Amino acid sequence: MEKILTKKSFPLWVKELVSYKIYAPQKNGDLWNFETIKKPESINLDFPNTVLPPKNIIFPQREVLLEFESSNENKLQVKETLPDDDPTIIFGVRPCDAKALTLTDKVFSGDFKDPYYWKRRNSTVLIGLACNIPPSPNCFCLSVGGSPHSKEGLDILMTDLGDKYFVESLSEKGSTLINLAKPLFQQPKAADKKAVEKTQAEAEKKITRQIKDIKKIPSILKNMFDSPLWDEESLSCLRCGICTYLCPTCHCFDINDEVASSSPVKGKRVRTWDTCQFPDFTMHSSGHNPRPDRASRLRQRIFHKFQYFVERYQNYLCTGCGRCISKCPVGIDIIEVLDKVRDYGS
Amino acid sequence: MVNLDNLKKEANRILKEEKVKYIIGYKKSSNGLFTVPAFIKNPEEVEKLTWDPTCVYNLTRFLVDEKRKKAKEKEPDERPVGLIVKGCDSRALVVLLQEKFINRDDVYILGVSCEETGVLDEKKLAKTLKGKKVKNIEFGKNDNFVVTTKDGKTEIPAKEILAERCLECNANFPVISDILFGEKVKRKSDNPFESLEKFESLSKEERWTFWKEQLDKCIRCYACRSVCPMCYCDECVADTINFAVIAETTAEEKAQKIKWVEKSPVTSENFVYHLVRAIHLAGRCIDCGECERACPLDIPLRLLNKKLEKEAKELFGYEAGFDADVPSLVSSFKDEDPEDFIR
Amino acid sequence: MAEEFEPKIVAFLCKWCSSAGSDLAGVSRMEYPSNVVPITVMCSGSISPLYIFSAFNRGADGVLVSGCHPGDCHYIKGNFYARRRIALVKKLLDYIGLEPQRFQMSWVSAAEGKKYTQIIKDFVKELKPLGPQTKLRRNL
Repeated sequence: MEKILTKKSFPLWVKELVSYKIYAPQKNGDLWNFETIKKPESINLDFPNTVLPPKNIIFPQREVLLEFESSNENKLQVKETLPDDDPTIIFGVRPCDAKALTLTDKVFSGDFKDPYYWKRRNSTVLIGLACNIPPSPNCFCLSVGGSPHSKEGLDILMTDLGDKYFVESLSEKGSTLINLAKPLFQQPKAADKKAVEKTQAEAEKKITRQIKDIKKIPSILKNMFDSPLWDEESLSCLRCGICTYLCPTCHCFDINDEVASSSPVKGKRVRTWDTCQFPDFTMHSSGHNPRPDRASRLRQRIFHKFQYFVERYQNYLCTGCGRCISKCPVGIDIIEVLDKVRDYGS
Repeated sequence: MVNLDNLKKEANRILKEEKVKYIIGYKKSSNGLFTVPAFIKNPEEVEKLTWDPTCVYNLTRFLVDEKRKKAKEKEPDERPVGLIVKGCDSRALVVLLQEKFINRDDVYILGVSCEETGVLDEKKLAKTLKGKKVKNIEFGKNDNFVVTTKDGKTEIPAKEILAERCLECNANFPVISDILFGEKVKRKSDNPFESLEKFESLSKEERWTFWKEQLDKCIRCYACRSVCPMCYCDECVADTINFAVIAETTAEEKAQKIKWVEKSPVTSENFVYHLVRAIHLAGRCIDCGECERACPLDIPLRLLNKKLEKEAKELFGYEAGFDADVPSLVSSFKDEDPEDFIR
Repeated sequence: MAEEFEPKIVAFLCKWCSSAGSDLAGVSRMEYPSNVVPITVMCSGSISPLYIFSAFNRGADGVLVSGCHPGDCHYIKGNFYARRRIALVKKLLDYIGLEPQRFQMSWVSAAEGKKYTQIIKDFVKELKPLGPQTKLRRNL
């Protein structure tokens, strides 16, 4: 379904959606992040990239998996704590961040479908906003199979056409939302479609960064496990978690028991984000750590994204949002690292 | 003004004469405006070295990695590491020397003076130029920065785009060095606690609301800890495991490891982490401002550390990073230390 | 009528003076509020600021650190170190907006059972109007 929505009508549409929990990019200080909105008028879709991707709405940094408590007979009672499945809408999802969710979908599916992830995922409608201007100077979505107007993973894609949005419904969930406020939407004219095509073509041209010959990378990496390159490239790495915590595709987690009382035993089992960049990520209880240094941790990040994941799911675990480049406190640049990998192979 | 050619000449000399293992300095990043840390091993690479207002990093931090690496080597190279330091970085070095974390022989110090300026704040620059892309930026005359954009060169008064920490810096030249580039000029009339004093005048509840909002943003990426030259503990209270674990450690010992801070990024846990970090930096933080710069969520961490810097100065007359031979703030005392708060 | 709020106080007492002082109060049958959870440590100088933050984190409404009078430290100067460190912790907690009344330090000798009871009485009296400490309390 393709429609036109004027910018004036946009808040009216949002008003029709009040039964949903609505997230949209909100500005706090100099930073944009996805937050729940109180007023429909407060949605401003003219924003650069959010610091955090909307990943944490579907896969929160902290998730309570179960609660436990010992009863009178000294038996342990365990209660599963599934998240609420309140219908949720996220406005302003960038195509790269939406695509990232299709990748984490793969991870949380398989033989065991993670109920915590899927409960949130299934109750959330993703309304995307095509990037007419790259939201970050380090955008490189075109190199990893995405585009500034990719529809992958989205329920609706909106394209800004000046005083109106071109609204394209891509799923049943999306159509439902449009049908809730049918009179606000108009049929697009041929000129509108042309304008969309033109904007999209121009948007692609504005993306300046790219990974050349990315197709070669997975096979080159295969022979690079023991390469001295990792030592060289990780010299300035600080072992912080910025690159992975801000990544829309990184999904590693840790599970801990948060014990509120030891007698009687009472507490919660909690899942929190974890990252391969922390020294304790693969620390064994024997004291041995198979990834003892920065080099092996940088290698793990690159291999997971451009080798292991490709072999297993035929996709790069990277959607080119550029957050890890922009926010790295010492300027480590994943594109540069991959350039060196490619040079190494040739 | 720092003469880059002289700096390169000296770097070339010490590498050629094999006086140092390698040099930690700054080089232009291949993408964009900012510099990145450079690890120069051969005289041929010296050309890469640069010095401009984007040299924000505190390279002293990398001595921590160097020490750890060296400890693992069977036959370590005992030569020093060449290190380029600004004023703030040199004070961090003094604290590491004071704490005997490193020896003076471990490092050959190439000091660069910020003179009347300092390093810039990326965000301030972006705001001033309203998104215009910068091609180059260098130190100019009269405390100006010369910024080159596609429209040509413009001069911007350094004060407008200097990092906040530089505006409040009270020693903008290296306090220790083997060779110094630039002049030891002290900038005048700066109040090192200006932003802090403004904040202190708020009411208790306003301060609480502020810190709660700020620390609630924390995602515990630990960039503040990782970028800090003073955060060199082998084991941090915020980590969930004990790095002192060896093959012989018993299960019981492991089970009894106290979990001071949960991994969950919630108010109570974030506060314990940040309060512990702040107090552990008391009398050690030299306000290089790297924690605040690194924070992806713009938590004003300097405001936390500055408070204890000010109290150390006012209560105990102690300033960190000027003298490696005095005992540290919390390993010393005076009979006349204030005790009016004690019952 | 609602039950009156009873604050929970964690008191870090040095083994040689303050803890002995509290014992003296006990064996002398002096009366004082039962709001205190005493933790005996070897010296006030051995109290890490982490213990104090952790006590608030686990739900203390007030924290007391108590050691020997200056000059009386069993380890000669442990309490002088404590005095410096605690001053900084106190400033920091006040700075982030915790009520300053919630964190106290005192000198109590082994002979000052009476003083100990008075300190606790005063502390409880000051904490009651503040109500429970929720700012730093863990609520997971």
